[in-house]
Amino acid sequence: MEIKTKSEGSTLTISVSGRVDTVTAPELEAGLKFGDAKCVVLDIAEVPYMSSAGLRLLLTSHKAMLAKGGEFKIVNVQPSVSEVLSITGFADILNIA
Amino acid sequence: MTARRSLNVKVAVSVLVAFAASMAFSWFLHNSLSERDAYALIDRTFANARAELTDCINERLVVQCMEARERLEDGHPDDTASLQALARELRVSEVSIVDDKGDIVRSSVPGYLAGPGRKAFNFAAADDKDANKMMGLIDGRYTEYCQPYRSNAANGNWRKFVGVWRREGGFFEIGLDGKALQSLARSTCVDRFRNWRVGGSGGIVVTTPTGLVLSDYEEPNREGTQFHEPGGSFYWKRGDIETFPVYVMIPKMSAAVQRDVLVGATALLNGAALVFVALLVGFVIAAFVRRQIREQEAKELAMAKDIQLSALPNVFPPFPDETRFDIMASMATAKEVGGDFYDFYFTAQGRVLVIVADVSGKGVPAAMFMMHAKTLIKSAAQTGKPLAQVFTEANEALCEGNSSCTFVTAWAGEFNVNTGHLTFVNAGHNPPVVRRGSHCEYLKTRPSPALGAMEGVTYRVDDITLEPGDAIYLYTDGIVEQPDPSGELYGEDRLLGLLSRNVRQRGEILKTVLADVHRHAAGAEQADDCTQLVLRYRGEPDVVEHEYAPTLEGVAKAVDDLTAALEPVPERVRAQLLVAADEIFANIVHYSGATRWSLSVEHDHHPDGVRLVITDDGKPFDPLAQRDPDTTLAAEDRAAGGLGIFIVKKTMSPVTYKRRNGLNILKMGRDYGDQD
Repeated sequence: MEIKTKSEGSTLTISVSGRVDTVTAPELEAGLKFGDAKCVVLDIAEVPYMSSAGLRLLLTSHKAMLAKGGEFKIVNVQPSVSEVLSITGFADILNIA
Repeated sequence: MTARRSLNVKVAVSVLVAFAASMAFSWFLHNSLSERDAYALIDRTFANARAELTDCINERLVVQCMEARERLEDGHPDDTASLQALARELRVSEVSIVDDKGDIVRSSVPGYLAGPGRKAFNFAAADDKDANKMMGLIDGRYTEYCQPYRSNAANGNWRKFVGVWRREGGFFEIGLDGKALQSLARSTCVDRFRNWRVGGSGGIVVTTPTGLVLSDYEEPNREGTQFHEPGGSFYWKRGDIETFPVYVMIPKMSAAVQRDVLVGATALLNGAALVFVALLVGFVIAAFVRRQIREQEAKELAMAKDIQLSALPNVFPPFPDETRFDIMASMATAKEVGGDFYDFYFTAQGRVLVIVADVSGKGVPAAMFMMHAKTLIKSAAQTGKPLAQVFTEANEALCEGNSSCTFVTAWAGEFNVNTGHLTFVNAGHNPPVVRRGSHCEYLKTRPSPALGAMEGVTYRVDDITLEPGDAIYLYTDGIVEQPDPSGELYGEDRLLGLLSRNVRQRGEILKTVLADVHRHAAGAEQADDCTQLVLRYRGEPDVVEHEYAPTLEGVAKAVDDLTAALEPVPERVRAQLLVAADEIFANIVHYSGATRWSLSVEHDHHPDGVRLVITDDGKPFDPLAQRDPDTTLAAEDRAAGGLGIFIVKKTMSPVTYKRRNGLNILKMGRDYGDQD
């Protein structure tokens, strides 16, 4: 798994590459450090699929940003990830572009 | 049947007994009524007779007494001897003259008169009410008075006294003893009853105290003969009127006429009502019994159907651990029990026999013949004999004693599960459909005769070889011969077309066909049993099986292996399988406490699919039994747990869980034939 971060003003963009599952979730969790960013954009264009271990991270990140009045956006969702998000109802509660 | 007849007899007997009892009751009722009426009539008649006879006698005696008065007033001497002479002349017993004080002053009976030491008999002073009443002749209350015949107050002799008033005061009196009274009354009064009729043909008989008939109502009469009291054939009563025994009598026959008419009429009416009611009840009972019988027959047919169905293997998949082939079969029975059956079983190592058959005729006989045929074939086949021999022998056995000429058409195949080689025999049955890849065609060969139809037939076998993914579909004529409302049959072409359009379906093809047949019937009742069987050859699966450590490293390795194994699978399906597998892997390494676990991957062809089997030795855990999370909650309320299993359930089908030998065995699969 590869995680790249890019900061522009108060916006932090995190790009993830590789599957997100039981094995890789701890690695992603470690990479999801938002500092004092007001807006976090998670680019998962390179994530071929995501299991519930990844969903848990999306939900905690979303709640954390909301708690400090910020924003957590997910962009470039692949169809197979999108399917899991909609099955679980996450598509409706997360901010997905 | 016997029970029914005896029921009818019982009903008829009890109805007749009830009828007889009611008639007897009616008869007794009317009998006692007519007896009561008869005695009331007798009593009334007797009172009339008493009044009539007494009046007649009194009238007669008053005339005699007045005769005596006239004679004495005309100067007839009134000394005792002269009065005795006058009494004789007047044919009475006594004649007396009473003065205005009530004393007897002259009498033919010296004992009544005053004598030495004795006062004359005085009517006023007598200790006798009847005697006292004679005083009415003195005080002017009556001009004449008659005493009843009675014991006399003066000397105790039985007498009837009659008095008429006397101009100078007092009265004249005559007295008659029984004999005199009778001789007087006999000639003038008793015969007036001769014409009296009582209650139709009854009447009055008057006799002397010794029983000689004085007056009789019958013709010819018995007057002068000794009278015998009537017996039991009369209602009668005897009483004495003025010394005469009087019989009032009514023949029972005569009194009974009314009763008999009444009872007869009642019987007739009741009889008619009874016949009517009996017919009605009979009708109702017959309808009821018919319904009972119909229900009983329906119940028996339903039981026959149940027995028939339960004799067929009905657990699918029949060999759950078998990966080389699968079998699905069904029998949709028509309303009436028929003689279809299907069957399948291993005959030898690696050989499975499949058969579909149809017994001629319907009903319980066909069902019984079907059981017989099924058992014969199975027991012969399981001895390992070649299929042709099994059929040849079964045919001989079924022909034996088959007087009803019942026969059974059958198509049976013996299938080598390792090679796909299928040896088959067709005993007059519909040709099956073979699917090779996605191409369907009828497997038409020259059929042999139906089983049980002809003795001495030697059955031949043909053979084909199925490739992995190929299937063969067997059915009975209930499928192809289902008519639509216009009479057009479903037919082989429709069946082949339907199968060709649905080559990707597996076991569910049977439901698809049945639904299409019912659609064709368009509301009409299913005409015959619809029996189907599909055998699909899967061949040896491409199995990848590895064991892993219960660690994240183990999972990483398994994911790599799985990713490689899923190379031929379309990308989207592959992602779904990887996600679903990851959920299970996560459960194993995080929660199960397993010491080892394994993953196997099986690929399927025609239709294409993948099955994952994940086994672990951790604590028992059935993921299918877990509650689904609520996916409609807002983000703040959502928990991250429980989602994995939910994803598995939503994306995989079928998913099965088994706990066996201390292992959790989870199988999940995904067909993707429709995603090529």
